[in-house]
Amino acid sequence: MSHQNLWDSCLQHFKEQLPSQQFNSWIKPLIFEANGHQIILTAPNGFTLKVIQERFLPEIASRAQAFFSAPAQIELRVEKKALQASPKNQIAPAIENPSLIKKSQKNSVRLNPALLFDNFVTGKANQLAHAAAIQVAESPGTTYNPLFIYGGVGLGKTHLIQAIGNQFKQENKHAKICYVHATNYISDVVRAFQTKQFDEFKQYYNSLDLLLIDDIQFIADKPGTQQEFFYTLNSLIDANKQVVITCDTFPKEISGIEPRLTSRFSCGLTVAIEPPGLEMRVAILLQKSNISKNPIGEDVAFFIAKHVRSNIRELEGALNRIEAFARFHKRPITVELAKEALKDLLAAQNKQVSIENIQKTVADFYRIKLLDLLSKKRTRIIARPRQMAMCLARELTQLSLPEIGNAFGGRDHSTVLHACKTIENLKNTDASLNADFNLLNQTLRN
Amino acid sequence: MTQLLLGIAPQWLPTLDNFVVGRNQELHTALRHALSSTGGERGFYVWGEAGSGKSHLLQAAVERARGNGQSAVYACGTVPDAAQVVAVDDVEALDDAAQIALFALYNRLRESGGMLLVSGTAAPTHLHLRDDLRTRLGWGLVYQVHALNDEEKTQALHQHAQARGFELPNEVTHYLLCHGRRDLPYLLGVLDELDAHCLRLKKRAASVPLLKEVMRSE
Repeated sequence: MSHQNLWDSCLQHFKEQLPSQQFNSWIKPLIFEANGHQIILTAPNGFTLKVIQERFLPEIASRAQAFFSAPAQIELRVEKKALQASPKNQIAPAIENPSLIKKSQKNSVRLNPALLFDNFVTGKANQLAHAAAIQVAESPGTTYNPLFIYGGVGLGKTHLIQAIGNQFKQENKHAKICYVHATNYISDVVRAFQTKQFDEFKQYYNSLDLLLIDDIQFIADKPGTQQEFFYTLNSLIDANKQVVITCDTFPKEISGIEPRLTSRFSCGLTVAIEPPGLEMRVAILLQKSNISKNPIGEDVAFFIAKHVRSNIRELEGALNRIEAFARFHKRPITVELAKEALKDLLAAQNKQVSIENIQKTVADFYRIKLLDLLSKKRTRIIARPRQMAMCLARELTQLSLPEIGNAFGGRDHSTVLHACKTIENLKNTDASLNADFNLLNQTLRN
Repeated sequence: MTQLLLGIAPQWLPTLDNFVVGRNQELHTALRHALSSTGGERGFYVWGEAGSGKSHLLQAAVERARGNGQSAVYACGTVPDAAQVVAVDDVEALDDAAQIALFALYNRLRESGGMLLVSGTAAPTHLHLRDDLRTRLGWGLVYQVHALNDEEKTQALHQHAQARGFELPNEVTHYLLCHGRRDLPYLLGVLDELDAHCLRLKKRAASVPLLKEVMRSE
């Protein structure tokens, strides 16, 4: 029986035991050689070798022992081609097929020169991610590869990943850096498939010195893209070229992505970016306003930061709105102005207010019975709240005046009109009624 | 015998000039400024209740951009291909795939300096969309479109009647505002129907009795 029979039996076994994707990724690419009781398995890259060693070697060894009727000596090697093609940290030569580069670059967003470490505000929420990013930019491909940065939306992941690219570019002028959003990477894969230019596609991505891929969660449920990315990732990491990945969640929690890929994501360093605390939000606002040459005071920054807590994008959106408001009204930015400008934004959901809700709220506010509010009673203590409720219904709903009248015990539209006029007049003369009206209006809107 | 009408009524198109501004002066100015230069804000999200004028503004912005020689496209409930100015109305109608498409479009336009206008019925924080899209919509300039009050609606009705070339007595607008639904699309629709009704009956001016007939026939 030849040595090949041993390997065929191993292949047969793994083919039956493993999902086809795993078999194709790990077992199929192995090159089998045998000499006496020595077996040499050559893996296409270091990562595959590591997986074989950890997961499949015992099975292969036991089959070899049964085959030779003696313990076999198994040697695992990495293909020489892979080692030679990627001397550590050497900047890749120019690419041979410029047409694909052009196409890829068309889809790969250029680095934004404004996103630097210098203008990245750090705090408790992101200091670990920031430190790791600096380390990676200074010595890429050595310590944390891949660097996996995850966190919620609008917390600065893209800023950080682009800052790595900009810093690396500054120190390695001729380096090939690609910042690509995952949706564009998917488009690149699809295009390469359609135009049958997979070789050029692979050549382009494998020749990079630094790959920055943003929002990797988008490749979920796209097996073709995942397979390509898996090969790209392996190839770059084996060549000690740095890969930085961002995602909205922890690798293990991404659904729709093959386990071999998520486990690969965790091989380097995984760091989180948390939502910023109050002080950090204030610092971000102060810095952002300085950049836009429209500096705001700390009191204004505190006001915004206290009210907009969710993420940095909405924080910056609020600042944009205040600046636009101040420009339009030609007024300096103060807390009062900020309150005015953000009035709409800070209001809770713009829900459609129902007339029943208005009636109940007004009745509760004036401590009268809902039935009385809807009755024919005309005493002041009932009539005034009723007029108030009618006026609010006119302001907060799109109902016609007859419909409003009808909802208040079958009254005429002219009664509603009279109620509205009365309340409008009283608002100008009776401060207490005006305050009540504003309070009710705000309560109902919120 | 009623007069048969030829379908040659003047076509009314939403423009920035025929938008009755009301309390939306700041938004109107910011939009005009952004459309007339390349340096202004490139992302707008406008929100407000139905009938407040969001679609008007978005269509008007696209019309203005085209007038300025830019490529511009308006889509409602779908995501169009990229152009220099893209308006996406009713963002909450987008399904999951369309939201991803809008997200990608947002990133492309941001990179290329294009302009994106999006509308919805709630402030960004309260939109039921993908988080990454929702937060991006809140990144640019966000404005609530305030619906017109009755005086402003009266003004809008007169302006609309003038554009269609018919006379609109004050008592007709007053009756309409007191007896009908008060959102602008409905009011303008009634006016169009009233105009057609007057023409059919060969009457020169609109009147309350004619309006009642139109409202009854709804």
